[in-house]
Amino acid sequence: MTPSDGIDTTTADETRISTDDPALESERFRAFDRPDGRIGVRNRLLVLPSVICSHIVADRIADEIPAAVSAPHDHGCAQLGADNDQTERTFLGVGRNPNVSGVLVVGLGCEVVQSEGVAQRFAESGVPVRELSIQAEGGSDRTIERGIDVAGTLASEQSEAETAATLGDLTVGVVSSDVQRSTLETADPLVGEFVQRVVDAGGRAVVAGTERFVPHGDRACEAVADEATRREFEQLLETKRRIPARTAGLQHRAAGRSFDEVSRSWNGLPVRDVLSYGEPATHESDVAIVDAPSRFAEAATGLAAAGAHVIVHGTADGIPSGHPVVPIVKVTGDESTADALAADIDVDATTTGVDDFTETVLEILEGDPSCAERHGLTEFAITRIGPSM
Amino acid sequence: MSVTASALADRIAVEAGALVRSTPHQMGSSQPEAARAQTERVLVGTGRNPNVGAVLLVALGTEAIDADDIADRIAGTGKPVETIAIRDAGGTEATIDEGTKIARSLVDSIEELERETADASELIVGVECGGSDATSGIAANPAVGNACDRLVEAGGTATFSETPEFIGAEHILADRCPDDETRKRLLERVDTREGMAQLMGVDLRLAQPSPGNKDGGLTTIEEKSLGAISKGGTTPVRGIVDYGEPLPAGGGLVLMDTPGYDVESVVGKVAGGAQVVVFTTGRGSTTGNPIAPVIKVTGNPKTWGRLSSNIDCNASTVISGESLEDVGQRLFEDVLDVASGRRTEAERRRLEEFAINEIQPAELVELRGESP
Amino acid sequence: MKGVVIDDKALLMAENDTVATALDDLEAGTELPVDTDARSDDSATGETGGASSRVVVLEEAIEFGHKIALADIEAGEKIYKYGEVIGVATADVPAGAWVHTHNCASTRGRVDREADDATALGAGGDPR
Repeated sequence: MTPSDGIDTTTADETRISTDDPALESERFRAFDRPDGRIGVRNRLLVLPSVICSHIVADRIADEIPAAVSAPHDHGCAQLGADNDQTERTFLGVGRNPNVSGVLVVGLGCEVVQSEGVAQRFAESGVPVRELSIQAEGGSDRTIERGIDVAGTLASEQSEAETAATLGDLTVGVVSSDVQRSTLETADPLVGEFVQRVVDAGGRAVVAGTERFVPHGDRACEAVADEATRREFEQLLETKRRIPARTAGLQHRAAGRSFDEVSRSWNGLPVRDVLSYGEPATHESDVAIVDAPSRFAEAATGLAAAGAHVIVHGTADGIPSGHPVVPIVKVTGDESTADALAADIDVDATTTGVDDFTETVLEILEGDPSCAERHGLTEFAITRIGPSM
Repeated sequence: MSVTASALADRIAVEAGALVRSTPHQMGSSQPEAARAQTERVLVGTGRNPNVGAVLLVALGTEAIDADDIADRIAGTGKPVETIAIRDAGGTEATIDEGTKIARSLVDSIEELERETADASELIVGVECGGSDATSGIAANPAVGNACDRLVEAGGTATFSETPEFIGAEHILADRCPDDETRKRLLERVDTREGMAQLMGVDLRLAQPSPGNKDGGLTTIEEKSLGAISKGGTTPVRGIVDYGEPLPAGGGLVLMDTPGYDVESVVGKVAGGAQVVVFTTGRGSTTGNPIAPVIKVTGNPKTWGRLSSNIDCNASTVISGESLEDVGQRLFEDVLDVASGRRTEAERRRLEEFAINEIQPAELVELRGESP
Repeated sequence: MKGVVIDDKALLMAENDTVATALDDLEAGTELPVDTDARSDDSATGETGGASSRVVVLEEAIEFGHKIALADIEAGEKIYKYGEVIGVATADVPAGAWVHTHNCASTRGRVDREADDATALGAGGDPR
């Protein structure tokens, strides 16, 4: 943002001043101006069920409001300890994602993760929020009716304020859901070049898919810049070694590759932080690793909670899933997938260079729907670390 | 077949008309083996459920679970089964178009089927409780238990599950087992579920009873369990099956080892073959199921007053003086009516939550430890 | 309903229970006549209670569905409902007091009781 814009003087981000650099003219885009100084690339009102029991009610409310999306999930009750905490942390992280303008939390009433508590924590962090629960409202019909009303009000209060932004304002999420040859050799290097460009412009990346680090423990830890963070990472990988991976086989396949090969999707940049699943990113530059599995829907939610504006998904199979709050850029390095699923893949890495890739992402950042958005695919899943009780 | 294909299955079900339901879930395409086996069992069981006339399996095409294998296992029942893979169809739009066509033709093939008179002995009824309060153990559960006794007497199968809600009451269930082997199996399952709190390094008290249970007067898991087990009635426990494992017809009272988490637990029993679910709730749960009608019963007069649009049966009359025998008879008749086609409140509102219980990595460590 | 209704106000599920369940929102000072001799009868009113009857006076308001101590219960003593143990008293509970999570705890699924086998794998999943 240039000083002449005259708004948001308190939290103006220094990186935005770099838009004055004429060399980056082509990398500017229009974004939503959030009150806390961040930019958003979508203006989504999130209808968040605090438990599976209220998810259809949340879906029905979101269906009626154009700006609204719901985030249906299987959780929110009968979870223990760290697993329960993770679900709650993830709710907060996703609701605080810069693409979210406000949140309506919908609960059942008797569940462990109470909708009132979640709403209160949103309010404390400055997110516009309302809360409803089915038992307090007197049934699903009334909750849907009231919810449409309340969500409509939240949507009408949404700020439409825009600002000029650059790649340097971005937090880009990165996940490759497999370690197949086409992903490692074709898709990941292209993604890595783009991530480098974002970081060079002053932005940062968050990377999911912990399975690929586990077999490369020592080497992976060397990539961590700070010693305290390195110890955290060592401990995390040690824990992972004791527990079967959530994505079967991926760890074994990653072991057959070098660390350099499995870290191409972020161009081997220094790792500045290691985030719990659901935790917001605070690093200034380079990369933070999010402790999320490679399962796409779960990884995407972890990256969204970390604050990703956009997620680049490397996929050999062509998994077409999207996400409710973050646009997904699908990249494949597999020619047969690019052919078979042409309308579901945003970037065919076999024929695309980093300039064209950047242009595609910029168009999506400015509001062009990505393939998954065009198809209305908004899968949402939260990963787990403990059993249902 | 996976979280990826679930969104498309949803869309196909919406496009293909009123008789079509989807069962979307969040399982990944390559789960660890034990978790995958459980997902497969639930998918197969759901397809084989007698309420299902025909099945369309939607896959991405690269899942570790083979759609054709699942199709074969469902087709063993004699019902038509088709599959579609997103990669083969050529993307999401083509899959929705083609999948909708297939689903419509499957509907055509079963639309002519008509109801026939059947005997109560052919029913498998799943019993669940959720959002419990003190009235659950006093009114709704014993009344439903009475209905279960009537079903078992008529030769049918009643099943209840939610193993964490046996904790503190397992000795009573164990006494009702026919032999030592069943008794041992039951107690082992309870031990494993109780051990999950230790596995996570926390007290079970953090999850059980839930905040709503406590507001409703339930203080401990033992108290909740002692009230919960009365929903199965008083007949002998014939056996205990795994999550989603087939339940025997004409089997009397059979337990299933499931979490207490309602939606996952109901799905397990429906995958086991339950055609009807009876679900007691003190606080007022509104959830249903895409495959089996879920009859909501409350023993709380205030909940009956406030959430009557989501509740089918009022058992709070037990507290005001109606005999358990009379309410049990009423509920048994409700089960037969719903089995005959009367729609439940959850069906009217299409509240059809579906979730498969996933064996979690930490659980697998525990399971591995137990079977070296 | 199983059990014995005390004066239309509370329900005693089994004879040896040490708590009863409120069948209405009860105010502090509400009197519950408890008469072991009358417990076998569904229509027990307590009003005609014999020489062995006594009256439990509610120490505090107790909501519908919540539990009332029918006798003095010492800290550490087991608490009975349905004729079974539902937990132990974590404080001295006088007759007429509200029994809930503040003075009654489960004995099951407790880490502090079996701390040695707790491997706490889940807790290790969080690097923070």
